[in-house]
Amino acid sequence: MSEEILKALTQLFGIITKQDGGATEKERNFVIGFFQQELDQDSIKEYLELYDKLVGWGEEPEKEEEDGKAKKKKLTSVRDSVRTLAICKKINKTLTQKQKVVVLIKLLEMVSSDKNFTPQRMEIIDTVSNVFNIVKDEFKLIESFVTKTKSSDLEEFEDILSVNNDTPIEDNLHVHADIDGEILFLNVRSVDMYFVKYTGSEEINLNGFIMKTDGVYLFSHGSTIKTPKGAALYYSELIRKFLSDGEQVNLSFNAEDIVLQFPNGELGLRNVNVFEGPGELVGIMGASGAGKTTLLNVLAGIQAPTSGHIKINGLDLNQDQDELQGIIGYVSQDDLLIEELTVYQNLYYNAKLCFAKMTEEEIHKRVMDTLENLGLEARKDLRVGGVLDKTISGGQRKRLNIALELIREPAVMFVDEPTSGLSSRDSENVIDLLKELTLKGKLIFVVIHQPSSDIYKMFDKMIIMDTGGYQIFYGHPVEAVTYFKKTTNQVDADRGVCPTCGNVNPEQIFNIVEAKVVDEYGQLTNKRKINPSQWRDFYLESFDHKPVKDEEEAPPSTLAIPNKLKQTVIFTIRDTLSKLSNKQYLLINLLEAPFLALLLAFIIKYRSAPSGEEYIFRFNDNLPAFLLMSIIVALFMGLTVSAEEIIRDRKILKRESFLNLSWNSYLLSKITILFTLSAIQTLTYVIIGVLVLEIRDATFSMWAILFTTSCFANVLGLNVSAAFKSAVTVYILIPLLLIPQMILSGLLFSFDKLNDFISTKGKVPIVADLMTSRWAYEALAVDMFKNNTYQEFFFDIESDEKTADFKSSFMTKKIREKLRVIENNLGSDKEQAEQEIEYATRVIFNALEKEPFKGSLEGEDLKEILDPEKINQEKINKISSYTDQLRDHYLKKFNLAIKKKETLQFLMENDSSYQFDLNEAKDKYYNESLADLVRNLTVEDRVIEFKGELIQQIDPVFNKPKEPDNLLNYRTHFFAPEKYFAGAYIDTFYFNIIVIWFMSLILYITLYFELFGKAISFFGNIKLKKKES
Amino acid sequence: MEIINLEGTEDTPKILLDKGNGIFEISGRSLPEDSAEFYQPILDWIAAYGEDPNPETLFTFKLEYFNTASSKLILDVLSALEDIDGVTIDWYFHEDDEDMEEAGEEFSELVEIPFEFKTY
Repeated sequence: MSEEILKALTQLFGIITKQDGGATEKERNFVIGFFQQELDQDSIKEYLELYDKLVGWGEEPEKEEEDGKAKKKKLTSVRDSVRTLAICKKINKTLTQKQKVVVLIKLLEMVSSDKNFTPQRMEIIDTVSNVFNIVKDEFKLIESFVTKTKSSDLEEFEDILSVNNDTPIEDNLHVHADIDGEILFLNVRSVDMYFVKYTGSEEINLNGFIMKTDGVYLFSHGSTIKTPKGAALYYSELIRKFLSDGEQVNLSFNAEDIVLQFPNGELGLRNVNVFEGPGELVGIMGASGAGKTTLLNVLAGIQAPTSGHIKINGLDLNQDQDELQGIIGYVSQDDLLIEELTVYQNLYYNAKLCFAKMTEEEIHKRVMDTLENLGLEARKDLRVGGVLDKTISGGQRKRLNIALELIREPAVMFVDEPTSGLSSRDSENVIDLLKELTLKGKLIFVVIHQPSSDIYKMFDKMIIMDTGGYQIFYGHPVEAVTYFKKTTNQVDADRGVCPTCGNVNPEQIFNIVEAKVVDEYGQLTNKRKINPSQWRDFYLESFDHKPVKDEEEAPPSTLAIPNKLKQTVIFTIRDTLSKLSNKQYLLINLLEAPFLALLLAFIIKYRSAPSGEEYIFRFNDNLPAFLLMSIIVALFMGLTVSAEEIIRDRKILKRESFLNLSWNSYLLSKITILFTLSAIQTLTYVIIGVLVLEIRDATFSMWAILFTTSCFANVLGLNVSAAFKSAVTVYILIPLLLIPQMILSGLLFSFDKLNDFISTKGKVPIVADLMTSRWAYEALAVDMFKNNTYQEFFFDIESDEKTADFKSSFMTKKIREKLRVIENNLGSDKEQAEQEIEYATRVIFNALEKEPFKGSLEGEDLKEILDPEKINQEKINKISSYTDQLRDHYLKKFNLAIKKKETLQFLMENDSSYQFDLNEAKDKYYNESLADLVRNLTVEDRVIEFKGELIQQIDPVFNKPKEPDNLLNYRTHFFAPEKYFAGAYIDTFYFNIIVIWFMSLILYITLYFELFGKAISFFGNIKLKKKES
Repeated sequence: MEIINLEGTEDTPKILLDKGNGIFEISGRSLPEDSAEFYQPILDWIAAYGEDPNPETLFTFKLEYFNTASSKLILDVLSALEDIDGVTIDWYFHEDDEDMEEAGEEFSELVEIPFEFKTY
């Protein structure tokens, strides 16, 4: 209190007491008592002099000689009236309303110290309260509370509560206690303050001090009153009595005998009991490693206990999740904010996910109300920001974190170290906020570390844990101090609170709990005086907690989550907004693709014309490599953009796990955003690439393939992101995913020249079939070769031509070769000869079996003819003559195709309506290098034998695969123009795209079930167990 | 504007508020049973007057006595006048009455209106 105010108060005391006969001894003593509380000894004298002068203390009372004068004396002098006004005005300017209430009570108390309530005195006090802007009814309430001494005189007031001997126990407002007289409580609602006075003559302790009879005391947060016989009365319990007219919350929380065993066998919690009703602020304290956060997690249902049950209103937390949906709120120690969004947006989208049934305005209102309650409304449009670019303070972040849970009003809240890293003022604000919530009936558990005295006292209950998961105290916080002091026989054990300042020192508890044994040299040893299990035994001896009665009804929940589609939409909007506000992310992702395209295309574009003077598409040798790079770029971009997505959201997902939101919706929203981004990236890439390299007719198909590939990479990235815990791991993993894609794409290493272990001649190896790059590359190369303004006219004809050419020259040559082998070995009974015959007949059989041209073999059984046991010269001749027919047949076909092609070329070049220049078209649309690749012109053997089959090596792109025996057998050679699957030929382009989308779908399923994550943790567990043994 | 003209009694002051003639005066003794109620019409009148005041207002207080509750309302009257331009207060006191003189001085410090102190 400042000197100025104290002076003002002294004057007020003086003016009031001098009225109606002047100050009495008692009143003066009260004023002295007040000075003693506020001042040091020297100043008391000074102020007392001022007071004495004002009231004329010690002067002879003026003799009342004349009647008239006496009458006049009775009235307050006008000067005093105006001075009173002046003093009050001054006070108005400096004191808060709460302090003014205290001043008013002091004035009333002084007057009532001698019960000298004359009209003039009361008039002055009434005027004071008037100037202080205290509502009339409230003044009357305060006046009655201070001046009257019996609750029976105060029955008209609802805001006064009495604790006494007579009240029946069931009484709602009043409380029974075994005491002499009454303890009266007053609630001044306008300023939210509580006062207490005691009218009896026993020793009643308020926070460790004896209350003077009829003295009025402020009953602040965390205060305790102790009666000589009865139990202690706690602030929170009494406050609840006052608020009992508010809505009743039916809540019971019983955690009985909770045991938690870690996977490595150690016990994390040992038989912990927690029994609570509504409206409690329960603190959890303990040394580091004592299992505070573990206990919180178990109580919140994040971790299931190894044994024991946690029941909320009789429902098991770990089993009846459906009934308990939305009941629990958890505020973790970490920030669970979306850093790119504003304070308002964070809360708004959270609210959207919680309240499906509210209208837009209601949600807006609710968000604004919550922000206002937490003092964040002025910050609502600020971006939350990350750890490094903070835009709002730590306290505000913490409050926003709490707001995110608060907005849906869960009945039970768990808050992990809400004050760590906050200033003491911010810490107090946060705990104040939680305290206020408990007064509305919420049950809140808070892990708290090194609380200040004020914060410590605000808790209703305190759970103290000791190393190894022992619960060593559970009860009222201030009592904890006295309990530990008493248990260790410390002096002054009854005083939990410092007698001079009213502070509690929670550190004291840990000093006692962890006190170390001193050795004979006076050095502290590492051995504790009392170990955790001994503390637990003491605790069990001293306390016996019983479960609270289970409430019947399920606790109230305001949660109504929207349907899955709406969730997807909300997730998508939220994520999009957060991405849009991250300029760096946006810029890099949007510029990456065109930049890479430009770089790549620019580097590989050279004067490719044979004359070396200009760039001609046809002669660009780099095209096949460019296509492969494009696919790798698409894969890479798709992977990098998605690989961090889920990891980054992990903490937000953890928070939202209490809402039971749809995982599928979340994934779909991710996929929507990522696919959109991929579409844009690949489109810009393709456009730049196509423009620079003058690739014609392939823009759409190239985009379709790259987009498909990128989408696949997105889903793959999400899988990785869901499976691993850190972004670094994921980025290290990217090469591991990409390099096999490059190796097995089909371009860098020919599929025919791979390790025997994986390769199958004439077919794409199965490992390569697992690679998206192989499907994408094949689709891209084949489509680009087949479908362009040049090749599309000739493809079918050339296809006939090349097939006929292969059969007439190479296949028949091989058959003849084999026939000669048979002839040479005929009649020999050597084992080797028999084997050679057997092999040769098999090759011939396989080659001819599916041959559509039958010729002279029409109606014959090929199998019978080529039976190696019965083969003879006659049969050989038969095949030989057929082979001639076959050759002639295909030669004819070949010539026909050549003729057709030439006619077509001639026609197109000479028919003016076509305006077709063969060479120009070829320059523009046809790429030699690509043609060499898909026609496999560099191969040495045009046909090879492999396991009894003749395999065509040349012209794979013209070689339409034969129908396989199995409908579902899709396997064929690389660069096949069409694929045969399920009874139909499908163009390679479409078939391969479908295959990639199918792979994406499979990956989506593994993502949905988080199979990779489960597999990894499964293998992780195996390792751990090995270590143990 | 209508004129307020209250005859004084033992406990209530005489009040004359006449905009037309420029007479504004509170005089006599003020210790009404419910001072807030008594002064409310006066405060309302001044508020209405404040909407369209005379260019100059000479407000006369010529009080013999007022109690504490009245003092608060006199302060309210003065505060209401504070918002009106061109107001001057004439504070009359009996030449023997030091209390009333000092009360006037205290009031003059609480509001920002020119006070003239006169004896009668």
